[in-house]
Order: sequence, then structure tokens, then C-alpha cells
Amino acid sequence: MSRSILRSVAVPLAAVILGLLIGAILIVSQNASPITAYSSLLQGGLGDGDALLRTLQKATPLIFGGLAVAFAFKAGLFNIGGQGQLLVGAVFAAAVGFGVDGLPMFIHLPAALIAGALAGAIWGGIAGALKATTGAHEVIVTIMLNFVGGNLTDWLSANPWKDNSGNNIVARTPLVEDSATIPTFGAIPVGFLLAVLTAAGCWMILERTTYGFEVRSVGQNRNAAHYAGIKVGWIMASTMAVAGMLAALGGAVESLGVDGRFEAGVNVGLGFEGITIALLARANPLGVIPAALLVGLMEAGASRMQFKAGVAPELIDVIQALILFFVAAPMIVRWLLRMRQGDSEQLRLGAGWGNS
Amino acid sequence: MALKWRHLFALLAVFGLFTATACGSDGGGGVSGGYKIGLVTDTGKVDDKSFNQSAWEGAEKGAADIPASATATYIETEESKDYGNNIQLFLDDGAKIIVTVGFGLGEATIEAAKANPDVMFIGVDQWQNEALPNLAGLMFPEANAGFMAGALAGMLTETNIVGAVLGTDLVPPVVFFKEGWENGARYTNPGVETISTYHPGGLDVAFGDPEWGATTSRQALDQGADVIFGAGGATGNGALIEVAGEAGALCVGVDQDQWFTVPEAHPCLVTSAMKLIDVGVSELIAQAYAGTMEGGNYFGEVGLAPFHDFDGVVTSEMRATLEEVMAGLEDGSINPMP
Repeated sequence: MSRSILRSVAVPLAAVILGLLIGAILIVSQNASPITAYSSLLQGGLGDGDALLRTLQKATPLIFGGLAVAFAFKAGLFNIGGQGQLLVGAVFAAAVGFGVDGLPMFIHLPAALIAGALAGAIWGGIAGALKATTGAHEVIVTIMLNFVGGNLTDWLSANPWKDNSGNNIVARTPLVEDSATIPTFGAIPVGFLLAVLTAAGCWMILERTTYGFEVRSVGQNRNAAHYAGIKVGWIMASTMAVAGMLAALGGAVESLGVDGRFEAGVNVGLGFEGITIALLARANPLGVIPAALLVGLMEAGASRMQFKAGVAPELIDVIQALILFFVAAPMIVRWLLRMRQGDSEQLRLGAGWGNS
Repeated sequence: MALKWRHLFALLAVFGLFTATACGSDGGGGVSGGYKIGLVTDTGKVDDKSFNQSAWEGAEKGAADIPASATATYIETEESKDYGNNIQLFLDDGAKIIVTVGFGLGEATIEAAKANPDVMFIGVDQWQNEALPNLAGLMFPEANAGFMAGALAGMLTETNIVGAVLGTDLVPPVVFFKEGWENGARYTNPGVETISTYHPGGLDVAFGDPEWGATTSRQALDQGADVIFGAGGATGNGALIEVAGEAGALCVGVDQDQWFTVPEAHPCLVTSAMKLIDVGVSELIAQAYAGTMEGGNYFGEVGLAPFHDFDGVVTSEMRATLEEVMAGLEDGSINPMP
């Protein structure tokens, strides 16, 4: 048991170290000090309560986004629609958050979260249902739905749900009511706890329930699953709906816990980062948590790194890309670590493309 | 064999770390004592060839001009959620003047200014509804700049059709540019036809869509426009570059002298409707240092950029008219947005 955990952790861990080392060389080539850079990065992400809060806030949507990709991946589906799902989740959660008042928090807040989650479930479910009924490739459909989602939420926040207070001209909703705001305890945002619980829930469903078994069976061999009596179409449609719901929860938590409203353009790219996280976690729902924390920490500390060490914040993107490169190309890492083949947790990136 | 390579790699890594430590003392930590001026960019870079860059040049000049030994440093915002955090980094460091660049940082700047009455804030393109004593919003009469550019275009057009490809109408300065441009063209050429198009997307995409800018300026060219105004970040730049490929057509840039920022547009770029952001920022820094800065809105200067390659195309009569227009705008006898 412990040995297999060690094995599954070894490659990502080595990838992180290699990424940071190459990052250090890049920092030196900019005539800056990697020691100063990395220590200010850590300080900006963990140095005090505010820094920790920033890291956890940044990690929260990454956990949800990573789960949205990882969960679908277990059924052999590529959910590239995290961005659109996150946006619809964010705008519908905000709509319930500001549009309803007079409710106590224990009703209002869950209602807003559920509204966002349902919107995301529909958004993801469309792609799943099309895949199941017509064979339309989920990668294409989810990418297209990202555009639809982006424009729909732009329009909603610029027209029917626009904030008309003062002389606001930005496409954004009014602030959500206090009763729909996700609280923060000290440096711990409750949204983060929700994300961790959701990750644990995903793991439970996938590993300990019949449904999860069916999902994984479909992911491993669709035809075999079909012959075994699993309703493959239903599994694909429902998995995509769950994936959409997960990404949407990330957006809902952003609206209700971080931004206090939905604002067009504020969540740009956030939904795509889930792909990074899921790869880094090798599609393991529990692995998503440390992966998101790592990336969240780097993003939270990037400003301080530029401020103290004069290193452009894009370096973080480069390091992330390097880490991903080493994770996705584990041969290099294995060779460096002299690990043997036969690692059962291989992430097969090719699955799902040709074999529909 | 494999062993050797692995060792080489390990060596390289260790070497990297050592060099790192060795350079550590002088490389980083550019922030030291003295009078500190901080600048927070909008989600863009200080070398964006546009307003972030202008503002940063102004901050550097401002720091160099004031008597105290001042250092100016910047943070480039990666995500708009970080506006407040990035301002806070400068506050924690004891900065005396903080420049925030762009409309998007308006609310975060007001919040920080209220919480830190001893620090002076300069908000570029941030309109102040209520004046705070320690916050000056650097605004520009974009309508005047647009009007002058339009007046020139009205005189230059041979087809009597001028076009404008614009960022979003959600942002007032863009609207002012457009209205000024159209009115200026009509001022010198009452029969002129104007084709102006705003980007239909939200704030997140409207200034970053050069393909749309190119397509839209192509449509205007096809409809007979021969002078095109590109105003809206990368979107406008896309329009300029498209016009550059059309023989005989002219284009007008925005914000800065785009001769230097979009060299691809040299074949068509007559001038640019400039906002002198750098001058405004360094002037406000000087005032903030001297303690004479007033809260509320401060209006910077606008103007037309030099004509460069088109110096011969702009005749002396045109120049005389432009001077009249400029004087009229200054003394108020011409209203750019009636």
C-alpha cells in the first residue's frame, strides 16, 4: 500500500523538483536570485494569514476544475469545457445570491450553490448527452460550449442581471446578499473546505460505489462495459453532467466567496487550469488537492516574487508548464530516478480519442 | 551511458543552484530604502506598447525628477482578482506614492486610498465621483484627441468615407474617442460618411481581438472608407495592420504615437490620437511629492502624434486648420461632443 502510494507520488514530486530547478536556472539568467525569488514566492503564498488565505482561495476553483476533468477522465471522456461550466455556475449562483433576499443563510447559501451546480450540470450534460446519443465528440462540443457559456454570461451580466448602482458601466451583477456569502474563518475560506470534501466525495463515488465502478469500466473499455450490461450512454451523459457540476461549483464559490458578485472577464482562463491540475494529479481525485495547492501557492506568491526579486510573474507559468511536461512525459523522470516500468497508474492520454 | 547522462544532469542542476546562490546578493531585492513609488499595472505588462508602458515611463520620470532619491518599482497584475493584493504589497513596503493603471483598478484604488490617508494615489483613467484628498484620477479629454484626428481624416479622405474600429462602448473613453472622431471629420468635411464599429464582446475580449479588428476594418475598406481610426488596444492594432496592406488607405492610431509601437502600420499610419499619460503621471508625482496634489480628477494633455512618413501628405492648409481646431478646442469655442 505505502509502496504504491510512494510510486504514484514519485513522478509528480520529481517533476515539481525538476521544474523548480530549471526555473531557478531561468531566474539566474534574468540576473535575479532564485533563493530570493523562491523564498518570496513562499512568503507570498504562506508567509502570514493573508498569504495563506490567498493560496487557499486560489486553490479552491482549481480543485473543482481539476475534479471536473479527472472525474470525466475516469469514464474515458475529455472535459475541456471547464471554463464554460465554471462561468455558468458563477453567474447563476450570483443571480440567486443577489436576486433573492430575506432568506436565512442556511437556506440561501445552499440554494445559490445548487443553482450554480445545476447550471453546470446542464452545461456538461449537454456534451455528455450528445456524445451518448449522436457520438458527437465531447472535446469539440465542450470547447464550443465554452464560447457559448462565455457569451451567455457576458450578456446576462451586461443586460438582465446588470449592476445598475452608481454609474457602473462594467458587465457585472450586483453584490450578493450577506446571507448568500460564503464565510471565511480566519485564513480558511469555507469554500476551500467544501472543495476538499467534494474531492473526497468524488473519490468515494469512484472507488467505493457501483456507479463509480461502472464509470471506470466505461473508461477502461467501453465495449466490454456494454457487454457486461452497463448502460454506457447513460454513464457518459451522467459523468459529463457531474463533471460540469464540479466545475460550476468552482465558479459558484468564486462568485459567493471571493468576488462577491459575477463580473464578466474576471474568471478568464480559470476553468482551463483544471486540465493542468488533473494532469498533475494524474486524474486522481485526492491527488487534485495537493496539485491545486501547489499551483495556488505559486499563483498567490507570484506578485510578491516580482516585487521582491524582480522576476516576471510569467515565470510561474513556465514552471507550471515544465512540471506538466515532466508529468506527461514520465519516461524522462523515470529514467532520472531509475524507476522500473510497470507503474500501474499510467495516465493514458490517448484514450478516448480514436476508440468511440 | 545512462549513468553518465544522469550525473551530467544532476551536475547541471547543482551548478544552477550554486550560481543562483552566488548571484543572490546583488541580483534581487531591487527595493531598498528611500522614497518609494509603486506602480500596479492592469492585467497587462509594463512593456505593452500602450497605456501601462506610458504610465510606467511617467513613473520612472517622476521618480527621477523629484529632489529626493526615489525608486520606482512595478507589479504586473496577472489576474484582476489581485488588484487589491498588489496595491497592498506596496503599502506594506512603505511606498509614499502608488500609481494604479487602468479603469479596472478604480474600486481597489479608492478602497486603498480611504484606508491609507497618508499615501498618495494616482489612478490612470479612473474617474472620481467623490474627491478623496489623497487620490487623483488622471483623466484625458479623449473627445478632443478624437476630434483632432477626425478633423485631419476629414481633410485627407478622398472617398469622403472614414471608418473607426473601436474597443467596447462599455468604456467611456472609447466612446469619447469615437464621438470626437466623427464630429471632427464632419467639422472639416460636412459631407463625410462615417462607419464606426464597436467590438461586441465584453471587457475581457474587447481590447484583445486583433482578428476582429482586422476583419472589421476590411469591411470598412470594402465599403469605401480610406481613412481608418483603430482605437482599442490589440483590437485597434489589428485594424491598423489590416489597413497597412491596402494601397492608398490611411490609418490613425490611438493613445501613444503608434509609429513606434506598431511598426507594421508604417505604410498607412498618418498620426495617432495621443493621451500623454507619461506626462500626466510624472506631473502628478511631482505634485504629490510637493504636497500640492489635489484630490478628484486631473485632466492630462492630448494631442496628435507627428506625421512621420506622411509629413508631405499633410499640406500646410491642413496644418493651419488643425491649429485652428486645437485652439478652438482649448478655448471652448469648439465642442467635440455637441
